Amino acid sequence: MEGKISSSEDTNLLQRIKEFTRSVVEDLAEGRSPKISINRFRNYCMNPESDCFCSSDKPKGQDILTLKREPQTYRIDMLLRVMLIFQQLLQENRHASKRDIYYMHPSAFKAQSVVDRAIGDICILFQCSRYNLNVVSVGNGLVMGWLKFREAGRKFDCLNSLNTAFPVPVLVEEVEDIVSLAEYILVVEKETVFQRLANDMFCKMNRCIVITVSTAVDLFFLISVLTSFAFLSSNFFGKGMIVFWQGRGYPDVSTRRFLRLLIEKLQLPVHCLVDCDPYGFEILATYRFGSMQMAYDIESLRAPDMKWLGAFPSDSEIYNVPKQCLLPLTEEDKKRTEALLLRCYLKRELPQWRLELETMLERGVKFEIEALSVHSLSFLSEVYIPSKIRRDLNSP
Amino acid sequence: MAMEITAVAQKLLLQLVSSAFQRCRLSEDLCRLSVLLDQSTATDPPITSISIADTGIGCILEQFQDLRCPRDFNGAKIWDGLLSVKTTCFTDDEVYFYHINLDEYISNKRLKRQPSQSKNGVKFSGTEVSLSVFGSMDVLVAPILGFFQKILVLHIPNVTMDLMVKQGASPGTQTQYFFAVNAEKTPCFTASNLERLKFGLEDYVLRHENCLATMCDHCFSEREHLKVGNGTICHEDKHKRVGGTVEVVIVISDLLETTQHCSRSCDGKTKVLYFDNFSPSPVPHFVLSALKKMDWKSYGLILANVNDQDGHVFLEWENFPSFVQIEIALHWYHNQHATRQKNGPGINLVKKGIKNALDDLKAKHEGFLLSSHARKICSYVPDLARSIAGLIFSSTDLDFQGDCLSVLGFQPQEVEREAVEDCIQRKIVTVIGMNERKPQKDQEAAPFLFFDGNSETSYFEEEEVEGEYYSTSLE
Repeated sequence: MEGKISSSEDTNLLQRIKEFTRSVVEDLAEGRSPKISINRFRNYCMNPESDCFCSSDKPKGQDILTLKREPQTYRIDMLLRVMLIFQQLLQENRHASKRDIYYMHPSAFKAQSVVDRAIGDICILFQCSRYNLNVVSVGNGLVMGWLKFREAGRKFDCLNSLNTAFPVPVLVEEVEDIVSLAEYILVVEKETVFQRLANDMFCKMNRCIVITVSTAVDLFFLISVLTSFAFLSSNFFGKGMIVFWQGRGYPDVSTRRFLRLLIEKLQLPVHCLVDCDPYGFEILATYRFGSMQMAYDIESLRAPDMKWLGAFPSDSEIYNVPKQCLLPLTEEDKKRTEALLLRCYLKRELPQWRLELETMLERGVKFEIEALSVHSLSFLSEVYIPSKIRRDLNSP
Repeated sequence: MAMEITAVAQKLLLQLVSSAFQRCRLSEDLCRLSVLLDQSTATDPPITSISIADTGIGCILEQFQDLRCPRDFNGAKIWDGLLSVKTTCFTDDEVYFYHINLDEYISNKRLKRQPSQSKNGVKFSGTEVSLSVFGSMDVLVAPILGFFQKILVLHIPNVTMDLMVKQGASPGTQTQYFFAVNAEKTPCFTASNLERLKFGLEDYVLRHENCLATMCDHCFSEREHLKVGNGTICHEDKHKRVGGTVEVVIVISDLLETTQHCSRSCDGKTKVLYFDNFSPSPVPHFVLSALKKMDWKSYGLILANVNDQDGHVFLEWENFPSFVQIEIALHWYHNQHATRQKNGPGINLVKKGIKNALDDLKAKHEGFLLSSHARKICSYVPDLARSIAGLIFSSTDLDFQGDCLSVLGFQPQEVEREAVEDCIQRKIVTVIGMNERKPQKDQEAAPFLFFDGNSETSYFEEEEVEGEYYSTSLE
């Protein structure tokens, strides 16, 4: 994956940082206010007129930061702080995660989102990707199936043990020698589903690659840091003290990049299996259309032809999901769904997705993928997924 | 009753002194203005003889036409209504002597010519006005002193003033006060009116309203530490073809802590002095309005109150820092010799003049008089400077370092990081102050050509972050 600058151009970025610094210093020395212009990117809008140009990757406007406004000054302040860190990282050829950077000055940054925004600003300013600045994304993706590749010299031979989960590499740029005999790629929202498929030897029967994002969290870490989350699923798997976090399948950057890489190299169709609820849909949308936060780097992060395999609201009837598995949509769910429906890309590109979403809203119920397995444990692996994929292959 | 009498007498006296001063000012020679108050102890109520003598240009008798002063007030006698005037111009051969009856309304009976005195070929000019009033002179001393103390603010260099107060013949009962502009330190002969006003107000402030002979040590450290701004604005009245100028000087002083020991220190209130055509004058209503309507906020000042006591105006501020004092002087004068023009400068002109003075202050002193908005931005300055200095000093490219340092005006060899950071801080503060002063027109964003749809941030934005949040611990 190229990104926008090849990683051998570290010196180029150092040069850019120096040029930027020089121009700010010059402005100040000559009594001028520095002006930092940062392109604005977005991957969707809520404009009902549908004459937006969100589908284009071009910037949609510019923010010009000066010292005239307090919020802008704050943004410049954070940007400079982070840029200083990047200069040091690049010079010393060290890497750091976004979280590491936050912890360098937690009282100044106050929140991770501030760091993320600053990193985004610098990436847009220098038209590079995060890894060019030696920011490592900590990934928690998992992959299994008909795939072989190398990452920084290490061999990943998923083909050899088809139902074993391999971690998705973090330095996706260093992935090479991808070899695959798969017919399609399946992305599943939750690790529980992934494990289900592994247990059912799904990849033995189906020539595919399965990807998910790990939802496992170390319990000690959890207890030591957080106290305020409401959902705790008690699926202990006996693998030491690991708790599965209900509903946390949001794709991290590495996983999305890896998926994109596979798509580019292998040209395979991609299917996505998510829960039938607004959260699941959002995950699907993020895979397909990218996230707003990383809108500036969208090309390397989205899967433009990803198909929504399920679960659809209509599936609950077709596959006889029992009534007790159909949970009512909360007020929050309804608001989220309404907001999702306003996104321009749904109107423009995927009316059939819209339809399903509207149905969900109308019916006022949601259900998880696991609900499809109520009648038979391996229903998902043996019936649901294969039949849907066949149907999709056969449809025009 | 007594106060009312004295107010009337004071007013007349000040008018006469002011006219005398103008005569001196208009003369191009060094002039002397002497006021003598002589109270006779023999009578009861006492009679005070007043004499106002000046060596200015000779007086024009029309000046006395407008003077009005009732002989009595509510039944009590003030004076006998007679002014005795001796005057001569430089080119005159005689000293003319007149008795002017201010009580008399019929003009040709007002003036009674008395026998003149020959000057015997000596060339001089001057005027002496004498009158007697009933009452003690104690109440007359303060206004005259006040007048002289204020007129020094105009810093007119060619006039020396003095007041002699006598009570009876013996020298023990005499007091004399001298007032002169200190021409050593300040180039007042060639200075403009505005420059003189500036020096004059500085002196006025440093000497506690010119009550002291020198600068008060308790309150002030050095003249140079005063922050002074001046503004001037001219007005052309096309209809009447008379132009005028408003000049404003603002002095801000940082007081020493020992000011607490000084009996004269003010309590954070701002005194406003007003001069109308080179004479101290009570602050007129339009100036009060202008002061009230000024946009003080954009200079970081919040006006709490405008106190007007008999023409003495004090401004009170909210959240005013201690050990800081502001004084304002305004001077309005006509550009030509127009003695009877009544039109004033108007509120807007005065506001503009004050604004010019405030802007001048801001321009001269970085980071001063910033609005609260700008001060908020300034709170980021240390951090910004630290980051920029960090980017320079942590770079391994020494050429780049040297380049940046020389742009900032440093020699790369003898440079200390702290000094560079300070320098950058000052430059950023200057830019912030400058941003405040620039007109707003170049800051307006172009109107959107296309609808800029609101992008709702998904609640998942956090999720991406939190995904990494957990994972970091696993490494």
